[in-house]
Amino acid sequence: MQSLDFPQLASVAAIEKGFASHGYICSLEIATAVYLAFQLRKPILVEGPPGVGKTELAKTAAMLLDVTLIRLQCYEGLDESKALYEWKYGKQLLYTQVLKEKLGDLLQGARGLAESVEKLHQFGDIFYSEEFLEPRPLLAAMRMTEGAVLLIDEVDKSDYEFESLLLEILSDYQVSIPEIGTVKAKTAPMVFLTSNNTRDVSDALKRRCLHLYIPYPTTELEERIVRTRVPDIDENLRHKLVEFVHSLRQLDLKKAPAISETIDWARSLLLLHADKLDEDLIRTTLNVLLKFQDDIEATKPEIRSLLH
Amino acid sequence: MQSKLVSFINVLRSHDVRISTSETLDAMRVISVLGYTDRNVLRAGLSQALAKTADEKATFVQCFDRFFQYRLPDAANEETSDADRIPELDPELLADADSALEQLANAKNPEIQSNLDLSGEMQANPQLQAQLHTPLMEMLRVDDRNGLSLAIAQAAEGVGLSQIQMFTQKGQYTRKILDALGEEHIRQAVVALENQGSPALQELQTFRDRLRELVRDHVEREYLLHAEGRNKQFMDEILAKAKLNNIEHHYLHRVHDLIRKMAKRLAARHSRRRRVSKRGRLDMSKTIRRGIANDGVMFDVYWKSIKKDRPQILALCDVSGSVAAYAKFLLMFLYSLYDVLPRVRSFAFSSHLGEVSELFDRHPVEKAIELVNRQYGGATDYGNSLLDFSKLALDDIGSNTTVIILGDARNNHGDPKLEVMQSIYQRAKKVIWLNPESRKLWGSGDSEMLRYQSTCHFVAECNTLQHLERIVDQLLRTNA
Repeated sequence: MQSLDFPQLASVAAIEKGFASHGYICSLEIATAVYLAFQLRKPILVEGPPGVGKTELAKTAAMLLDVTLIRLQCYEGLDESKALYEWKYGKQLLYTQVLKEKLGDLLQGARGLAESVEKLHQFGDIFYSEEFLEPRPLLAAMRMTEGAVLLIDEVDKSDYEFESLLLEILSDYQVSIPEIGTVKAKTAPMVFLTSNNTRDVSDALKRRCLHLYIPYPTTELEERIVRTRVPDIDENLRHKLVEFVHSLRQLDLKKAPAISETIDWARSLLLLHADKLDEDLIRTTLNVLLKFQDDIEATKPEIRSLLH
Repeated sequence: MQSKLVSFINVLRSHDVRISTSETLDAMRVISVLGYTDRNVLRAGLSQALAKTADEKATFVQCFDRFFQYRLPDAANEETSDADRIPELDPELLADADSALEQLANAKNPEIQSNLDLSGEMQANPQLQAQLHTPLMEMLRVDDRNGLSLAIAQAAEGVGLSQIQMFTQKGQYTRKILDALGEEHIRQAVVALENQGSPALQELQTFRDRLRELVRDHVEREYLLHAEGRNKQFMDEILAKAKLNNIEHHYLHRVHDLIRKMAKRLAARHSRRRRVSKRGRLDMSKTIRRGIANDGVMFDVYWKSIKKDRPQILALCDVSGSVAAYAKFLLMFLYSLYDVLPRVRSFAFSSHLGEVSELFDRHPVEKAIELVNRQYGGATDYGNSLLDFSKLALDDIGSNTTVIILGDARNNHGDPKLEVMQSIYQRAKKVIWLNPESRKLWGSGDSEMLRYQSTCHFVAECNTLQHLERIVDQLLRTNA
């Protein structure tokens, strides 16, 4: 297995800068994790509340390295035939039908059963060879020669059994296919796993990964993110809106607004040509930030006090 | 530095962070990749390799700051190669220390004057001069904080401070470190000056007290670092083995944590099982695929639908006076189980029975237990309670249901209503009875345990947390 050299990942500071140039403002923790993942060739397990940019991190990493992003979305019931590989059974079936007619030609000159079988053996297991293999995301990532970013999204949504399937890939970057043998990655892909913590990911999986926890950002970091994503917005307004979102997060809500919601809100305020934050404006645009009616109702009476 | 890392990991482990050997190796690689130049980067990197939940991360940060804050560059012992340098102090911390120093200097202005007294005295008295002409005294006089903490750290290592176990050992270790530092010279000098009634006495005493305070602080920190976590583990072990009715109210909080952890572990291991069912929609692709080996003839068929086992648990808890001490813990356990396994329905009874799942849902644990006790406490009547239960929930008991009964089966000589138990037994997948009394007492007096036993799949004595854990583990395993 070869490892590629990416100058973009030469140091923690370079990573911070590189991500920023692709519009992703990352904290020191995130940059360190990416650096370590590359240097130690370890997968990163990213946890955190929804909407803090876990998936975005992998996408940006792929952009930064200019390699393919291979994404595997996990869900309940996902199994190896959808994640790892599958045999092209239709093709196999077709070929058996076609070859049936050729069988007579092949076995010409063979006398007796033993000799025929011997002759057949010479052809090997052609039906279970690479030509009949349909690679799914995980195997596809192993086969990439120029490196790849593999994103295994929401791994907590999959079943425990599926986690065990991942273990071999994550620790050795290889896949065992009973009929063929072991497929080793030509170049170790950079692997990101994300989890929303709907259930605990198993210890075995955690052990094989670096664990990155992305919390809600600090006001300062979030302001920088909004500045990068919505550059046209007025500086004062930006400051105000980020502060407001932060105070919203202190409330007891079903779903606190995440960074993606802050950005959406900033964009909508920009569209509405707002130049300052007042109560009415917030009330009418609150549905951009909060996605549950209960939350919106609970917040409305609080808006005035949150603003000050 | 490797030994430093290992002892740091020991500290983390004693604070309940689970770290495997492979993670230790990862941490070493992290250090070799990141180096020691930037403390924040190193902290972030190590936390990613070692702490794998949000809780553990918080613990990690706390331990990291405590552990590495006071380990200053150790030029004497360690190779001074770049790789072996110890993380530098936070600039913020340094600033803090600086301002503290300044304050100290201002406060001691008058003593600078008396410092002259001391040097004067030393010049006049050659014996004193010999006693006080030590590097230690020199550091105290010029207020060399780095030098002092370095010397203290070395002395502490010399006397094995990291082995500290109990808070009662703090004084002992402080004394040992002071001796190792050579404090007795100062002590002797103080005695000498006292006899002479010299004005320099006060000055020297201040130095001595400062030194003692520094050492005491150091011991205190190390105690927090090394012993606190260990003591907690020790405590947990004892609590797990102690009889539940003997555990003091004071430790209730801790027990709740333990029980919660237990319930969570059990639930994580057993909550959901899937298996392929034997009917439903045909999995065409798989069937054809497997048929290829038979020349395309589909001998074996495979089905698409997958069956999920979700064990349903009904739990009944006796809250009458005879088991009051246990009931608290059993309810606590039920509560925790309810938290992690949403399909648990809980019932409480003494003379009559009612469902308490909703109470558990709405209130925090202490409040819920109190409410349950108030509502259902009283004299026991198993017969009546079982009737209530069958009215409430008998129709919900199916082949996937486990019924757990927590109680001492002391029925005050009433009608045990065995036939109700019988009907529960016949419907349920499993009926389990956990009795806090020891097995020898079953059947004595008004205990109906031996008769109820005939209508249970599994009965067990259960009066420590360990029992509880073992039993529930067994229950969930056989359920899968």
